[in-house]
Amino acid sequence: MEQKAIYELLAQKLGPEALSFHDEGIEPYAEVTPGRIHAAAQFLRDDERLAFKQLMCLTGIDWDGYDESGKGKSVAILGYTDEGRAETSDRVAEGDFGVVYSLYSHQHGHKFTMRVRVPRTLAEVPTVSDVWATANWHEREVWDLVGIRFTGHPNLCRMLMEDHWVGHPLRKDYEMPEEWDGAPLGGRPLNVNPFPKAEDPTPGGPPTGGDSPAEG
Amino acid sequence: MSRESTTPPEGYDVQRENMLDFKVDDQFQQIVETDQKNFILTTIDEVFNWARLSSIWPVTFGLACCAIEMMAASATRYDIDRFGAGAFRPTPRQADLMIVSGTVTAKMARRLKLIYDQMPEPKWVMAMGSCAIGGGPYFKYGYHVVKGVDLLVPVDVYVPGCPPRPEVMLEGLMRLQDKIRGRKGPFKAPKWVQDYAKKIPYRK
Repeated sequence: MEQKAIYELLAQKLGPEALSFHDEGIEPYAEVTPGRIHAAAQFLRDDERLAFKQLMCLTGIDWDGYDESGKGKSVAILGYTDEGRAETSDRVAEGDFGVVYSLYSHQHGHKFTMRVRVPRTLAEVPTVSDVWATANWHEREVWDLVGIRFTGHPNLCRMLMEDHWVGHPLRKDYEMPEEWDGAPLGGRPLNVNPFPKAEDPTPGGPPTGGDSPAEG
Repeated sequence: MSRESTTPPEGYDVQRENMLDFKVDDQFQQIVETDQKNFILTTIDEVFNWARLSSIWPVTFGLACCAIEMMAASATRYDIDRFGAGAFRPTPRQADLMIVSGTVTAKMARRLKLIYDQMPEPKWVMAMGSCAIGGGPYFKYGYHVVKGVDLLVPVDVYVPGCPPRPEVMLEGLMRLQDKIRGRKGPFKAPKWVQDYAKKIPYRK
């Protein structure tokens, strides 16, 4: 089934004000309001004509630096300088967050893409982990790295980063840490040779103790 | 050309001739002549170093794609067993060498330090690949990567590459063997290594 036809079915079910169709890009998608995403997921999975039994991917997006239509310039992402220090910035990110659902039906062999847009100040999307079980881990990963909270999720804890990690690293305004739990994450300067001379075994200078045989 | 006879002439004592450089006392003479035993002279250091460099047991510890090359080095084509380093131990308490093969993340740093602390002396560390040497491609935006494993533990051999081919890893192993061969004195880390280990910023 064509994506436009799938959209028509979905619009009949949810009402035209709940979603809109966009086919100007490479892949057409339906933009759904956050409140109706669970009903849309339930309908797409259970309807016999659609039968989207598989959620291929669930992706979190930070749209900071882009306008409503997706046009714009990407902002510079903060990193580490050549001296190995973490960069800082006063810029406050204000772009929206988004979640993309890529669906596939093995029964009919057709695909569909849904998108949800939520404001940065209220980054909350209803969970679909009770519709597709695979969304459980996907949503945990999106929460971990982008920081979108999925309401109703059974176990929304961090997945890749450590449990007590501060911040969500794939946000555009994330500032990298200098160290974590005592492990240094900044580096030594790139333009300084840590081993200046071949005969000098220590990075910090020649050994001063009495261990060398010449000193007895 | 006539071939020279390999049998010694009449009345020529081969063993005595070979021993002429030494002042042989009666006990040695008895060992060689009467008991028909061989012996060699060496030093304790040389024997210990020879034994150590001939059986470097690495700990089974793979972190990223470099570990694939490490596995290739231990398989039949490159055969790390030729250098006596093929016995990958599943516990650090039986291992001499830690091959840090891959990206050391912030989450892994604590575990890596724990494994290193569990290894008995003498122990060696090989930093394999760009990530373990200095962060590699994760230097700029790697919010989770330790920029070089020598910020955590002292490193003996740096093996460059991304990832290094098995030949390069074997070359690093041979350089480590050279380092062990030249080792002298008490069987513990040299003082500059101990001092350097104290200066490393990793402290809980």
